[in-house]
Amino acid sequence: MIEMDGIRKIYRTQHVETHALTDFTITIQDGEFVSVMGPSGSGKTTLLNIAGLLDTFEQGSYLLDGEDVSRLTDRQMSAIRNQKIGFIFQSFNLIPDLNVFDNVDVPLRYRGMKGSNRRAAISKALEVVGLSARTKHYPAQLSGGQQQRVAVARALVGNPSLILADEPTGNLDSAMANEVMDLLETINDMETTVVIVTHEPELAARAQRRLHLLDGRLIDFEAADRPTPLVARPDGSSSARV
Amino acid sequence: MLAYMIRIALLSLRRNPVLSTLLIAAIALGVAVSTAFVTVFYICSGNPIPSKSDRLFYVEMDSWDPNRPYSRRRPEMPPEQITYRDMQGIMASDIPTYQSGMFVASLTVHPPEAEQKPYRERVRMCFADFFPMFEVPFTYGGGWGRDSDRGPDPVVVIDAATNDRLFGGGDSVGKTIRIEDRPFTVTGVLAPWRPSPRFYDTHSGASGVPEGIFMPFEFVRVFEVETAGNLLIWTDLDDSAGFDELAASEAIWIQMWVQLDTAEQLQAYSDFLEAYVMEQKKLGRFGRPLNNRLLNVMQWLDDQEVVPEEATGMLVISLLFLLVCAVNLIGILLGKFLARAPEVGVRRALGASRTSVFLQHIVECEVVGIIGGAIGLGLSALCLGQINRLLDNSGQFGLDLVMVAAGIGLSLVAGLVAGLYPAWRICRLAPAIHLKLQ
Repeated sequence: MIEMDGIRKIYRTQHVETHALTDFTITIQDGEFVSVMGPSGSGKTTLLNIAGLLDTFEQGSYLLDGEDVSRLTDRQMSAIRNQKIGFIFQSFNLIPDLNVFDNVDVPLRYRGMKGSNRRAAISKALEVVGLSARTKHYPAQLSGGQQQRVAVARALVGNPSLILADEPTGNLDSAMANEVMDLLETINDMETTVVIVTHEPELAARAQRRLHLLDGRLIDFEAADRPTPLVARPDGSSSARV
Repeated sequence: MLAYMIRIALLSLRRNPVLSTLLIAAIALGVAVSTAFVTVFYICSGNPIPSKSDRLFYVEMDSWDPNRPYSRRRPEMPPEQITYRDMQGIMASDIPTYQSGMFVASLTVHPPEAEQKPYRERVRMCFADFFPMFEVPFTYGGGWGRDSDRGPDPVVVIDAATNDRLFGGGDSVGKTIRIEDRPFTVTGVLAPWRPSPRFYDTHSGASGVPEGIFMPFEFVRVFEVETAGNLLIWTDLDDSAGFDELAASEAIWIQMWVQLDTAEQLQAYSDFLEAYVMEQKKLGRFGRPLNNRLLNVMQWLDDQEVVPEEATGMLVISLLFLLVCAVNLIGILLGKFLARAPEVGVRRALGASRTSVFLQHIVECEVVGIIGGAIGLGLSALCLGQINRLLDNSGQFGLDLVMVAAGIGLSLVAGLVAGLYPAWRICRLAPAIHLKLQ
């Protein structure tokens, strides 16, 4: 799914150069559940931004689903984000003026789907996160856990092959955090690759593989006990992970 | 996608009503002022009869004082009207397709209902050709025939307002109106007709509306009526002089129009006018150098400076005012858009391209433009109403479909001018930077 080789990312200001990622190389297979840990400033979010085509890099190569993304236009990268990637953020990033239904609708709007197809996909995604009864609610009317579940539905609705979650449980209490992790596992069980950044070791331990970053470098990775599952996609098809 | 963008734009405007009101008010004010003055300019400078403006000619001949030009400012210019005797002389020509001398008189109309008081009405004294020559539209009936010019027969054409006032509207052809001391039969009722500018007689105000009643010219002798327009004379004429003395004098008070459809007609009529003047010179008249002019409608309006310099100046100033309004909004919109950078970051992450983000913000600016423009058009109509009252020209300046379209166009341009830079800036933001800030 993700093949990064020798990625270098430097943030420059007038006086300072910050090496966010240095010669970063990683391969993440289709359907993997990977957690990324590390102290603040270690490059976790930069890794996610580059993986999600939200940021560029100075050096190295990045193949997403076998496609070299370094030469893509903005329109092509936007289309890939829209069709292949789902994002979940620490602070939910729901649009306050839109109700639950319309928030989940946003990625489908940029895909140009027909209304009936959009409605069906949104209903299904909200059903997965258990918020079918809250479609008319606005973000301000929901708890933090519910808001994050809406964000998960929004990430899920386009049936992406990759979910990138940047500290998705950072603003939640432990019960809600576990709920969200359960959801991510459910999504992963549907053969969707999940990469999650977290500071919490017990949540990171639920991933199949844990990456540790320090100063923009991968210093360690551990395999977890969680078995590779047989998968079922939301569209009903199923396949064995390779 | 456009409907979605409009919905998002409306939600964005609702989010901050005070700021949105300010944005809309700025556009509304700019559009109101600019549309009002564009309308004034448009009405003053338009072609009032585009189908044949190059075939209708205003006739001028220099019968003025041999010792001084008619106009000191423009000494090359012949008088703008002609004498009664010269009109009689050149109306003998059979070269023009249509021709009519004319002037405006003020006559007393006696309504058929006894309880209605007599009133003074502006009456255009003209020939039968006036109506086909100027393509005057009729709701009922039509103009009178050329035979009625010779009588003259007591016939009139009335406009819709006069028809409403005297007969309560409807088909009044054949009904009788009493004007001064005589009954006149109505041969036609005009459909709405408002040539802008009123080219056929600029002497009594190019921004005015056509007269309420049209009457065969030769009733000038019957009523011995004087012009209610301009009358200028360079020879002596007693105040006590009667109509016959006036008609035989060098007083100029008649406008003369001819329709010449071909180049041959134009040449033949020019030759005819020249021959007429040379003949008059032999009789001791036309002491000035030969100076006949045949000006088509647009040349005539240009010559008459129907579009005052003030109107052009105000047009430019009003458009600059709209530009200033739009430019002032750039900063406000930039601040508003940048404050929304985290939301834009989310949309970018979810698949919005830079183009989508740019278009969404342009649509928001255009929604502001259109709402502001609609309000501005309303204000513009009020403004034009005020101008009409000030000029006492009975609603000459008003918004027609073209001007409404122009107002909407100006609103869209203003929205675009205000929104281009802020929309470009917001679409260039790196989404990753703002995602953490939300």
